[in-house]
Amino acid sequence: MFNFHYRLERYSIRFAILVVIVASIGGFVEIAPLFTIDETVEPAPDMRVYTPLELAGRNIYIREGCYACHSQMIRSLRDEVERYGPYSLAAESQYDHPMLWGSKRTGPDLARVGGKYSDYWHVVHMNNPRDVVPESVMPSYRWLGRNELEPADFDLHLRAQQKVGVPYTDEMVANAINDLSGQANPDGKRAEGVLARYGEATNIRDFDGDPTKVTELDALIAYLQILGRLTEVAHQNPVMKKLEGPK
Amino acid sequence: MVGQLTVNERKLAFLILILIAVVGLAMAITGADKLFVVHGLIIFLSALGTIFLVISGYFLPPPDIENAKHYYDDPTRAGIIIAMVWAVFAMFIGDWVAWLLAFPEMTFDAAWASFGRLRPVHTTGIIFGFGGNALIATSFHVVQRTSRARMPDNLSPWVVIFGYNLFCLLAVSGYFIGITQSKEYAEPEWYADIWLVIIWVTYFILYLRVLARRKEPHIYVANWYYMAFILVVAILHIVNNLAIPISLMHAKSYSAFSGVQDAMTQWWYGHNAVAFFLTAGFLGMLYYFLPKQAGRPIYSYRMSIVGFWGITFFYMWAGSHHLHYTALPTWVQTLGMTFSAMLLIPSWIAAGNALMTLNGAWHKVRDDATLRFMMVAAVFYGLSTFEGSFMAIRPVNALSHYTDWTIGHVHAGALGWVALITFGAIYALVPWLWKQKRMYSPKLVEVHFWLALSGTLIYVFSMWNSGIIQGLMWRTYNESGTLAYSFVQSMVEMHPYYIARAIGGLFFLIGAIVGCYNIWMTVRSARMLAGAPEFETPDLGIASAQEIKAGEQA
Amino acid sequence: MNFEHEMLVGFAKSYGLFYLLALSLLVLVYTYWPSNKKPFDRAARSIIDDEDRPWE
Repeated sequence: MFNFHYRLERYSIRFAILVVIVASIGGFVEIAPLFTIDETVEPAPDMRVYTPLELAGRNIYIREGCYACHSQMIRSLRDEVERYGPYSLAAESQYDHPMLWGSKRTGPDLARVGGKYSDYWHVVHMNNPRDVVPESVMPSYRWLGRNELEPADFDLHLRAQQKVGVPYTDEMVANAINDLSGQANPDGKRAEGVLARYGEATNIRDFDGDPTKVTELDALIAYLQILGRLTEVAHQNPVMKKLEGPK
Repeated sequence: MVGQLTVNERKLAFLILILIAVVGLAMAITGADKLFVVHGLIIFLSALGTIFLVISGYFLPPPDIENAKHYYDDPTRAGIIIAMVWAVFAMFIGDWVAWLLAFPEMTFDAAWASFGRLRPVHTTGIIFGFGGNALIATSFHVVQRTSRARMPDNLSPWVVIFGYNLFCLLAVSGYFIGITQSKEYAEPEWYADIWLVIIWVTYFILYLRVLARRKEPHIYVANWYYMAFILVVAILHIVNNLAIPISLMHAKSYSAFSGVQDAMTQWWYGHNAVAFFLTAGFLGMLYYFLPKQAGRPIYSYRMSIVGFWGITFFYMWAGSHHLHYTALPTWVQTLGMTFSAMLLIPSWIAAGNALMTLNGAWHKVRDDATLRFMMVAAVFYGLSTFEGSFMAIRPVNALSHYTDWTIGHVHAGALGWVALITFGAIYALVPWLWKQKRMYSPKLVEVHFWLALSGTLIYVFSMWNSGIIQGLMWRTYNESGTLAYSFVQSMVEMHPYYIARAIGGLFFLIGAIVGCYNIWMTVRSARMLAGAPEFETPDLGIASAQEIKAGEQA
Repeated sequence: MNFEHEMLVGFAKSYGLFYLLALSLLVLVYTYWPSNKKPFDRAARSIIDDEDRPWE
């Protein structure tokens, strides 16, 4: 009877199937419940989706590999909460396809960097980080300010996001290309559409200080300025309130 | 190369390449974004170049019957050389980015030369370019020898090698120009991922076909590890890369998963890429080449079986230790931690088994740098698996995560284990395959060994130091109960260690270049001797094999 | 949805353990079953004397 394994190996396909079964169980047990649980992602009724410009900025963040040195996940440890702000909740990255939690902090965590610095600071910093932080080892990203954003097919991006489950409305998809440049042109007519679709609190600014064109730098700064500000849920977290203590 | 294909295989190769070229051309013509067009062109030109290669040998006389009576080793030879080319390229990039962290101005205002784009070039080049090609090449060698059966055809192994390297090329060129999914160690976009699935299925079927032809009833344990590597990597790759492209004419896609589910899926993938790509596959290498080079059977075959099932089972649970204290549910974190601790058992079984095999052969380890490569690899395997289990413990992870300690740990594994066992296997394999008594210069193997070992130690020690300093500085409080150091202060402290690390990496790179030279000279002298009578089998191991046979009869 | 989740976690926590124990037991029994010693020893040695060409 214990020739079972021996016979098993003689038929290499059966052996292969056994390996697959044995190996799959761990992943299944850990991953499957994450899709069924309600509590994994806590409700965040005030959560909004990324605007087209912010999403474009996020794609630049991905393209340049920023996630290799900057995390976007504040752990529930005292020092991290004091350094970076309330610890990250699952809800905050629920529309992040893919997530950018990161694995290394060569530079600081960026989960709550939105609003921490001015647009101008970011412009200078991206142009040459050592102008604002002399010790910085970050590369200069001057090409971002030179490259104009290519909005031609941005409705396709929103359509794909819709398909993977981000609640973009058809109206948002239809207006994606207009909204993309509208958000960086505060005086233009298209800005109103952005506010109507994405909420009054949306940042409508010429982020890179160059009103003549919409650049990749506009998009990236728009994205950085919204990090940690899509929902207030992390600040209202009762555990967090206790940690922060009476003010 | 083409001369060994049968006429039908040449036709088939021609057809396959035409098909690939057409797909590449279609991508280039219809592509809606520039980057997609570039990749279309790369596919087209790779196929076109290979078509010329096939045509140049198309009218050679077909191979004689003798060819079918020998193992088919040309793909292995090619795979080894390609692996070494990737090694030098990716180690150079690795060392370059190491210097960038010390001197960030070296980006020259060029997007392709910035840290964020070069870093995946380094990781992909090493893991998939160097590691993957070495695994494929050695697996072809091992599966034929241990099955005592030849490749079922001459074309499939070439399809695997060509297709796999095309994937690596798409991946690496993509990062330079700005195509990435951002999923660590799974950065290539959807079309490259689909292509890899096709190649991987071909590889798996080829492997099964060799096994099906085997004359040995028992499948030698090294093949189990190689099989687990092929199979599980396929599962991981498919699941983690599920994504929706924005259109079939764009490079960009969006992952099917988001947030916490994506994080768990990604690190389930990431950790098991370490397990089944960088561990199981290379253990297959170890279990064949170490006993062979030492001329002694593995210390305990049974332990290798227990270890195999242990690794296959435990590893899959451990991924969540990458997400301690995050928004991942705590029970999943605990599960990951527990299994990570248990993983130490099968890991040390393998490391111990390898070292015990050398008992009685320590004089060979002293004299033969090739065997010493493998021995030190086993030691580093033991060390880094211990370190890995240790770092998976939540409170330890609280300190180590996000710091350079992780980088040190990874490189203890990647340099000390993966690269050293690979160099050992290659130094063993090159003389066998090119029918030489030994490498061109055993002295240079020795030089490579010491460069590699000292480079690894410098690297790992500097990262341990910097990582722990970083971790401690981030969580140090002063007397008034506020954080003692700013982030920038911790960064300034890293500078000397970053330089030390880059020097360690440089040692390792120089060692690899020395290795390339040595391999090249060995191949060259083999070619010059091509007219002379060939050596039948490598000397190593034969004497002991006869001893064992005599022992059996007695 | 919730029911499903509890079921899944429950399954993971209970049967996961039994599965683990049973699997270890199976592997150990198989590995150390006395009659399996011979083929294993043979396999371990078989690589040392592999020849230059496949068996006919």
